[in-house]
Amino acid sequence: MLGFAFAFIATVLHIVLCFVGAPLVTGIINKLRAWALGRRGPPLLQPYLHLARLLRKITLVPDTATDLFTFWPLGAFLALAVATMLIPGFTTGMLTADAGDYVTIIGLFALARSATMLGGLETGFGFGGAGAAREALFGIFAEGALLVLLLAFALLAQTTSVDGIATAFRTAHIGISVSLGFALAAMLAVALTETGRIPTDNPSGHLELGMVHEAMVLEYSGRLLALLDYGGMLRLLAWMNLIGTIFLPFGMAQATEIFSWPGGLALWAGKLLVMAVALSIFEVSRAKMRVFRVPEFLGAALLLGMLAGVFLFVAARIGA
Amino acid sequence: MGNSIGLMFGLPGQGMHLHLDALSLLFVCILLPQTVAAALAGMRGSFTFWLFVLGMALALLAGDAFTLIFGFELMSAASWLLVMQGDARPATLYAGVAIFSGACLIPALFLPVSSLAFVLIALGAGAKAGLAPLHSWLPRAHPAPPAGVSALMSGGMVKVALYVLIRYAFVNLAPAAQPWWGVALVAAGALSVLIGALRAVLEVELKTVLACSTVEHVGLITVGLGLALYAKATGDAALSGLALQAALLCAVAHGLFKPLLFIGAGEVKHATGTTSLNWLGGLMRGMPRLGALMLLGAACMAALPLGPGFAPAFLLFHAAIGAAATGGILARIGFSGLLAVLGIGGALALAAAVRLIGLGFLGRPRSLHAAAAEDLRRGPYLAMALLGVLCTPVALVPGLILELLNPVIMLLAPQADAPPLSYAPLTLLLLAGLAALAAGFVQTRWGTRGLREVAAWNGGFGRPPAWLPFGDPHTQASATGFAEPVMRLLGKGLLGTTLADPAERFLLLPLFRLQTRLIRLAERVRRATIRERLAFVFAVLVAFLLALGLGQGG
Repeated sequence: MLGFAFAFIATVLHIVLCFVGAPLVTGIINKLRAWALGRRGPPLLQPYLHLARLLRKITLVPDTATDLFTFWPLGAFLALAVATMLIPGFTTGMLTADAGDYVTIIGLFALARSATMLGGLETGFGFGGAGAAREALFGIFAEGALLVLLLAFALLAQTTSVDGIATAFRTAHIGISVSLGFALAAMLAVALTETGRIPTDNPSGHLELGMVHEAMVLEYSGRLLALLDYGGMLRLLAWMNLIGTIFLPFGMAQATEIFSWPGGLALWAGKLLVMAVALSIFEVSRAKMRVFRVPEFLGAALLLGMLAGVFLFVAARIGA
Repeated sequence: MGNSIGLMFGLPGQGMHLHLDALSLLFVCILLPQTVAAALAGMRGSFTFWLFVLGMALALLAGDAFTLIFGFELMSAASWLLVMQGDARPATLYAGVAIFSGACLIPALFLPVSSLAFVLIALGAGAKAGLAPLHSWLPRAHPAPPAGVSALMSGGMVKVALYVLIRYAFVNLAPAAQPWWGVALVAAGALSVLIGALRAVLEVELKTVLACSTVEHVGLITVGLGLALYAKATGDAALSGLALQAALLCAVAHGLFKPLLFIGAGEVKHATGTTSLNWLGGLMRGMPRLGALMLLGAACMAALPLGPGFAPAFLLFHAAIGAAATGGILARIGFSGLLAVLGIGGALALAAAVRLIGLGFLGRPRSLHAAAAEDLRRGPYLAMALLGVLCTPVALVPGLILELLNPVIMLLAPQADAPPLSYAPLTLLLLAGLAALAAGFVQTRWGTRGLREVAAWNGGFGRPPAWLPFGDPHTQASATGFAEPVMRLLGKGLLGTTLADPAERFLLLPLFRLQTRLIRLAERVRRATIRERLAFVFAVLVAFLLALGLGQGG
């Protein structure tokens, strides 16, 4: 009973921290990027101010849009919110652990992506259509790579829930294997594409021909844009959590043991900070690639994912 | 369940027998709602339609081989008539494939239990189900007849063919089962998934898109069946149960949402006079009820979470992972490739569904017909609503449906033992509800309410001129344009620049060339002069005598 209560509190804490902290993570990354470029950068709390300002504005609806115009941002937000709740952050063994299968999480990301794409097609103007078509193209390779990666994780951890993978990787002695290296590279490539970061998309671009994500939300304003922007922040945090949980599971707390929480929370913050630094340094040192080079980038991720599964077999045979 | 009855007519001295067990009951249950829906959608006056339904029911309930073949061929013949009523062009190809499938099935049913019988069954049933590489007729023939028949052909007829495959591969031919049977089915299914999903993204006609998606779903079901067959032959109880669950649940879901989408496509045709996505757009405004139902169907087609299509896909992915974890290095590489194909196929299906809804129902109208479309008629509305309501339990309580499928799985693979489903749509729904409540609270507490309708910003371009009420259609992404990135990177490589189906290029075209060559040969024989004929007869006689003499002398 006490264990259940602790797990419940841990789950609520995780959800609250993620939902409150997501804009802060974005703010930190923006600040770090600006520093790396030698600028002073916006204040850390700028994303909160941005969302608050958007909430106060009047929401405009284009006259060419249908009644579902307001539905797509909500759909995308809800899918990302559920995904964020399911992916563990500072602790394993949350109440949502059983529902958090890796395939379900891929599906939720796909749901958010399709809602955003439909939002882009809603108004019926060129930018939205082009953005949606490119997003559909990226999604094809990204989803294939993500599924193939699951094979390597499932073979090592004997389970397919993200929570179970984290527990297995933290407790069992997996060691540093070639397969996990490949898997990490593939996962990072997919994560960069899914969250719309450089080198596949430019998060700070607003009106250029190569943009993808920004093109689809071009017609949204006011509280609908706030919902979409907040969804984007949640997605970034969810991906950081996913990578952190699978590849850096050390020091994660146990939901039923309250004394392990402070350490888990501190390490979680540390991991997020490290990932934010790595992301911002990577972003300022790379250029955005052409739209039609991205599938090659993701195709390489797909192959790496397959190699990870095959190498595991070889490693099991030679006893490494 | 093992209820048999004999009928008073049929083969002399034998009669016909009907037999009902869990498997046929499941497929009758899949067939029933779509038959009701198709009848409601305007087919109830057609005698041929009821003949078609009778054929399918006979094939499903058959207790002996003759009844099965009789029902199967009745189904083929009646559907051929219905296809011909719609469009005569694909009817010939359709009849040819039906004859091919009959020619494979009839000997197979009377052969002893062997691998040869399985190959013939797989060819015959696969050709009728639209399994690659014998699928190229399906995207041509299924869109041809009226919507109700298309719905039943895509949702029901391919299931009857798969039923025959399941019945023979798992039950009647079980003693001779080999692992390679399953591998062959998985390979054919994976090919179908890839080609069907890719073509669904590239095609422009609404009904052709749906037919290509049927090829994809037949592929998914076959991959599940193949994995189950493979696992059954290698004695993997958990995997065979999981794969069978995936295949059967996929068949149930597909039997609900594909007829829904086809009937909707027929209503689009009725309201606008076209099904080309390049002439539609903005239908959600004039046809909100149709739009909502089509959105539901498209969500199932794309296998999105909280839709009925997700649970089967979820089970199938897990079955593929389970299969990749067993076996040798070749199995590892092959099943990893299968996973990649399933992932790519799933994302392609998502792109196809988004394209169907986004270009057909959202945005601006691309023609005046699309702008002036009126909503659903009463009959099709009832039909689509029935199918939509039936989708709900499959979407929200897939665990319960899997419990109902258990007797079928026990019949097909008695030792199968599937782990419980770890996908919980109700939990996801609860979490989504919580997030929606939180968002609503923030919005009412700090947000500004109200919406204001304005001209679209469109990156700063000006308003369209007055004589273009919906703006310039060319400034909106077209169906071809939306598919262009996929075409450029995948389509050209796999289908070639002409978009011809690879099965047509590599299977039908060589067959056609062979036929031409044989006709030329026959023509030369016919035109031979009397001297040539006499010389031929003489030569044969000499050869015969030589052979005889050498045989006796030696």
